[in-house]
Amino acid sequence: MTSVSHPAATTWSEDQPVKMRVPWHQRLQPANLLWLFLAGILVVLIVAPMWTLVVSSFTDAKTGGWTLNNYVEAYGKERHITALTNTLKMGAVVVVLKLAFGVPLAWACTRTDMPGRNFVRYSVFGAFIMPPYLAGVGWILLAGPNTGWINRVWHSLSGSTEPLVNIFSFGGLVLVTAIGGFFLVFVLVSSAFEMINSEMEDAANILGAGPFKTAMKVTFPLVMPAIIGAALLSFLGAIALYGVPALISIPARYPVVVIQLTEFFSFPLRIQVAAAYSIPLLLITAAMLGLQKLILRRKGYVSVSGKGGERRIVKLGRWRWVLFGYCFFVVALSVLMPMFVLLLAAFSDSWTTGFSFSNLTLSNFHYVLFEHSSSQKALVGSIGLGIVAATVAITLALFIAYIVQRRLIPFSSLLAFLAVSPYVVPGIVLAIGFYAAYALPPIALYGTYTIMALAFITRFLPIAFTTSSAGVRSIHPEMEEAVRILGGGRVTALRHVVGPLLKRTLAGGWLLIFVPAAQELSTAIFLVGPTTRVVSVVLLDLSEEGELEKLAALGSLLLIIIVAVVALGMKYLGRDFMLRRS
Amino acid sequence: MKHAITYMAGLVPAFLLAAGLAGAAEMTDGEKQLYDAAKKEGSVTWYVSQTTTEFADGMCGLFKKKYAGVECNVVRASGQVIFQRLVQELQAKAIQGDLMSTNDDGQMAQLKEQGALAQFAPENLKDMVPELRALADKENYWITSGVSPLVIAYNTKLVTEAEAPKNWTDLADPKWKGQVAIGHPSFSGSVGLWTVLMNDLYGWDFFKNIEKNKPQIGRSVADGHNLVASGERKVALAPLPLILSDSILKKVPIGVIYPTDGALLPPSATAILKDAPHPNAARLFENFLLGPEIAEYFAKDYRYPLRAGVPLAEGMRPLSSYKTKSIATADGIKKLPEVQEKFRDTFGI
Repeated sequence: MTSVSHPAATTWSEDQPVKMRVPWHQRLQPANLLWLFLAGILVVLIVAPMWTLVVSSFTDAKTGGWTLNNYVEAYGKERHITALTNTLKMGAVVVVLKLAFGVPLAWACTRTDMPGRNFVRYSVFGAFIMPPYLAGVGWILLAGPNTGWINRVWHSLSGSTEPLVNIFSFGGLVLVTAIGGFFLVFVLVSSAFEMINSEMEDAANILGAGPFKTAMKVTFPLVMPAIIGAALLSFLGAIALYGVPALISIPARYPVVVIQLTEFFSFPLRIQVAAAYSIPLLLITAAMLGLQKLILRRKGYVSVSGKGGERRIVKLGRWRWVLFGYCFFVVALSVLMPMFVLLLAAFSDSWTTGFSFSNLTLSNFHYVLFEHSSSQKALVGSIGLGIVAATVAITLALFIAYIVQRRLIPFSSLLAFLAVSPYVVPGIVLAIGFYAAYALPPIALYGTYTIMALAFITRFLPIAFTTSSAGVRSIHPEMEEAVRILGGGRVTALRHVVGPLLKRTLAGGWLLIFVPAAQELSTAIFLVGPTTRVVSVVLLDLSEEGELEKLAALGSLLLIIIVAVVALGMKYLGRDFMLRRS
Repeated sequence: MKHAITYMAGLVPAFLLAAGLAGAAEMTDGEKQLYDAAKKEGSVTWYVSQTTTEFADGMCGLFKKKYAGVECNVVRASGQVIFQRLVQELQAKAIQGDLMSTNDDGQMAQLKEQGALAQFAPENLKDMVPELRALADKENYWITSGVSPLVIAYNTKLVTEAEAPKNWTDLADPKWKGQVAIGHPSFSGSVGLWTVLMNDLYGWDFFKNIEKNKPQIGRSVADGHNLVASGERKVALAPLPLILSDSILKKVPIGVIYPTDGALLPPSATAILKDAPHPNAARLFENFLLGPEIAEYFAKDYRYPLRAGVPLAEGMRPLSSYKTKSIATADGIKKLPEVQEKFRDTFGI
């Protein structure tokens, strides 16, 4: 029922011409008030923090007057510029790597007869659930230059004392960043592959192209928009990530923008300079979006839209095992290996000793659950913030999506634009904006859960909006009309008709927000107060003290809770809820 | 100041205190007053960079045991991070911490200058080791809450005592290439002072030479000993108590080198914030830090107890038996920003 589409769906709500003649006071009807209310919320969540960010980058910290000195201070040092160029370099390489991981896996899982497709899908899903900083810690255990497992095996095999792999390097930084985010490429490109019909591929086959030539000449060009979109998001994700650079780029001595931002956020505190320094991140993102539009506009990709036709699976023959080997390699790098060492460390007295019964212990779990001062509370805080952020974001997004889709009021597309705009704001920049706007007096939300919840809601609003919007689009308005005819208002229609019909879609979106929100680090790092710490921040502190076993235990606990919530959701939604969405 | 006076007025004979572990029954009048007021406040929030989280949690646990009804919250991060957090709160006029303990007393001096600290002379000051007491602020804006000399740790399985470095400059020996770990002066308070000391002793060439050994740079000074214990690095800059407790209590293959050119002795300092949300609980806690329970807890964990007459743990050398060096508070404040900047330039991070 939810997928009924009707040509009248878009024209239905244009029953507005009468409106032009109503006096202004009659316009203060609930729908318009709701619009104002929602616009107000979006101003608080998005416009005000970003505006404050831009303004404070031009504000003199002492006099409050207008100045360009923040920019001079932010870019006046060679080191600061290096961090910027390093970040771009890292971002570019990460994109290449993420595509190299994500695209073949997506193709293999959706369009071929490769064995173990479900295994690969589940493993990629594991990559979605594992936060990047935990994968980073896993890789420190695996590839620490002297005692990493890989290096110790290498030393004993080769007799060499030089490390084979060193995680504290540019390569290490790029690898860990890429494995922490390639699932997004997988999801986006997978759903594009699933939309293609095979007619064009058949045409290529008839004209004599083999399976690989067809794939390269027909199939991949058809999913190009999805790949470009995924590349863009990968780049944004990579340059804005905080946890992995904090763990790896400091020892690797490869400064990047987020690390430089923490310098401005250390003593003496220079929020204005931090604001000035984060403006390029925003500009880069905007430029990338422009570029994407430009590339996609020039070519026609009509065949991608809409289902239809038949999709045939490519028979790979002997190559299917080669492909599986590659998929297994990617999955091992990104999920299996780091997860395995992390769990082993969580149950070990000392992770370097390796597996033995005398080394086995539960004391790390006992420590983080009952002895450590803030981890218990942080677990509750993280899960709580995840729930609040997901619930509020989805509810808000549902209202906005409904108004936008039904075109209930003028300028509703402005709401849509605002709701998706946080997508282009890196989490750490968002946090600086929120700090500048709301942490200090007169609003003084510093150190409260409120400021973190607001920032998290903003951060994940775009996901919520795209989900809700797709859902609302799929519902025919006639059922709401029935409510209206029977005397119910818009809100009644939303609550008793649209909401229930969209339950599954909304619950899926909720999970897609809950998982990253419960692990969020970049936004949290500048906003946590002493009594509002979240697990991600506690984990980072444990890493600073070198307590990797305890860190592994706390990280595992967080993962277990998240997996439990997701498992509940999957039982309710079916296991593919994540992979079916674009 | 007022507090200090009412406090001194309530002094009871010293022998009562010296009698050892003071239960509730043996509380002094001043202590009891503070305790009652603290119970009304309900909790104390302690910003720590002086010790590890685990150790600070232990101290909080002892406090809660002695003063039932007063919660104790530990917020632990590396020195510069905690300090920045506090400055942020001062700016936001939203002080959340009640008191702060750091290994960089220069931070205290700066806070004092800003008028952010409260003046308080805890009752237990009089039982302190006089030399340690003398390291604190003369006007009682902060107390000395510990001394953890920074020394060199080495992995005893991978390095023999003969091979091990003898002094700081040995860390630049090419044989330690890829095997040294140090902290970052922009994150850690005590590493900041150590950087100042090395620069004073040997000039910036010291760091240029060490850079050639590609040291692993951590954020906190507390991870060096873990890197050595796990064998990830052979030698590291580390606080003495962490090495000793690793080696003696946890039987980890780690040993101490007391550098012949002088271990850095940063006095740890604890101060109460003027606008602390729980002023009485904070005062009760600061007094408790100098009490017999903590002295014993320190001694057990291979730290120097602050109270006179508490014996050192076995395997610990008295402070006077090896060479130590300190940085004068004013010197530290003056020189730190410059060496932090130079460090970033030399090490590129």
